[in-house]
Amino acid sequence: MDVVSNVVYPVAGLLGLYAFVSLASLVWEGIDRKLVARMQRRIGPPILQPVYDFLKLASKETIIPNTASYMFKAAPVLALATVIALLVYTPMGFTPILASKGDVIVFIYLLTLISFFKILGAISSGNPYAKIGAAREATIMVSREPAMMLAIFTIMWRIGKLGVDKPFSMGTFYQHNIWEIGTPMSFVGAVILLYVFAVWLASEIEVGFFNIPDAEEEIAEGLLVEYSGRYLALLKLTHSMKAFISASLVVAIFFPWGISGYFGLTGISANVGDLLFHTLKVFILLFVVQSVFRAVTGRLKITQAVDFLWKNVFLASLVGSLLIAMEVIM
Amino acid sequence: MKAPILVPVVLRNLFKRPATNRFPQMEPVPIPEDFRGMISYNVDKCVGCRMCVNVCPAGVFVYLPEIRKVALWTARCIYCGQCVDVCPTGALQLSRDFLLASYDNKSDRFIPLEPEKVEEIKRKLEEQKKVKEAAKKEKEGKNV
Repeated sequence: MDVVSNVVYPVAGLLGLYAFVSLASLVWEGIDRKLVARMQRRIGPPILQPVYDFLKLASKETIIPNTASYMFKAAPVLALATVIALLVYTPMGFTPILASKGDVIVFIYLLTLISFFKILGAISSGNPYAKIGAAREATIMVSREPAMMLAIFTIMWRIGKLGVDKPFSMGTFYQHNIWEIGTPMSFVGAVILLYVFAVWLASEIEVGFFNIPDAEEEIAEGLLVEYSGRYLALLKLTHSMKAFISASLVVAIFFPWGISGYFGLTGISANVGDLLFHTLKVFILLFVVQSVFRAVTGRLKITQAVDFLWKNVFLASLVGSLLIAMEVIM
Repeated sequence: MKAPILVPVVLRNLFKRPATNRFPQMEPVPIPEDFRGMISYNVDKCVGCRMCVNVCPAGVFVYLPEIRKVALWTARCIYCGQCVDVCPTGALQLSRDFLLASYDNKSDRFIPLEPEKVEEIKRKLEEQKKVKEAAKKEKEGKNV
């Protein structure tokens, strides 16, 4: 029984989540392309286009540059493995499969590790364009994470004050949420942090302002310049799943309400219902943060993006965190 | 900062019909009256004046002295229409045909005057010559 509850169930849940999230994120990618096309008075590709793209890339010849080292082949696999490992810590409408005390550190670490593997693969290709892209990815990565970390630690600490059994776990959002504190100051702080998280999400999935490392028009695909075939398919899948996971985090922090309680579902069916409702919320959030943002903004320069993330977003994160912490401190 | 201005625009666009032409399912965008499409060549009208050979910037035409016609390879054509303007008999015309994609740039659609036809014209000319010569001989015979 111990083996079943500690090994078999988590693995089965992870496999099911992996299948669902990979499909849902690819479908969202298709919906996003369709929506942006309609915003520009175009018809756009079919909804399942990213799935076709994935299958096509997976069936094409993979070309390895002569200058590439072994990390070039390993990086996409490791990036996808990291995303799959991240799924067990991601709140998706229910408490994560392996939620434990303090696993927010693991979550942030794995989320950053994906970018790190992308950078490793790019600089292992030996292409100067990829190296420029990798440098920009690293710059934007270290600029965007502090604001998010400060905000998420503040929120978790504040929720922990309300009394949870596993403090600093990704499951705490489903026991108490940030709107429950109920004072005007915390409400304003939460709204400011919502802005911070929206910008962080846009920079995490690199759309709109922050489409800098890949920069198709400026540095010839940047990071992905040497990738082709199966490895490119893996990286594309990784990217769309990462978008889903990052959006899941924001949805879990700010809009954690489920629907299974209203329909009186229990057990597995409750989880499935909550997962579907959570997917809907993720799609709505990504519509605002990804589709609309991508349609109305151009790319920033890397210096402008770093300035923006430090002087605007990080400051907002500081202010919002202080507002939320204020009642407890005083 | 254009972004705040653009937000209502893109959201309004979401509910408008796409302003595109779905080509394979629909007719292509209508072409204007004086559209310059593929060259059409009328062999019978051609008198072999070599004007088109002189005026063509792309080297589409080759003069065939033995039959006094021109051979064309329209895959080289740049659709400038100068040969049409200069042709005195109207043997060259611009059609309205523009869907010219092909797997083979030597295919028949780019060669209006095929080599077989050239041979045929040659044979006809020979026959005419023979008839003329026979008539000549007859004349000479009568005269003698």
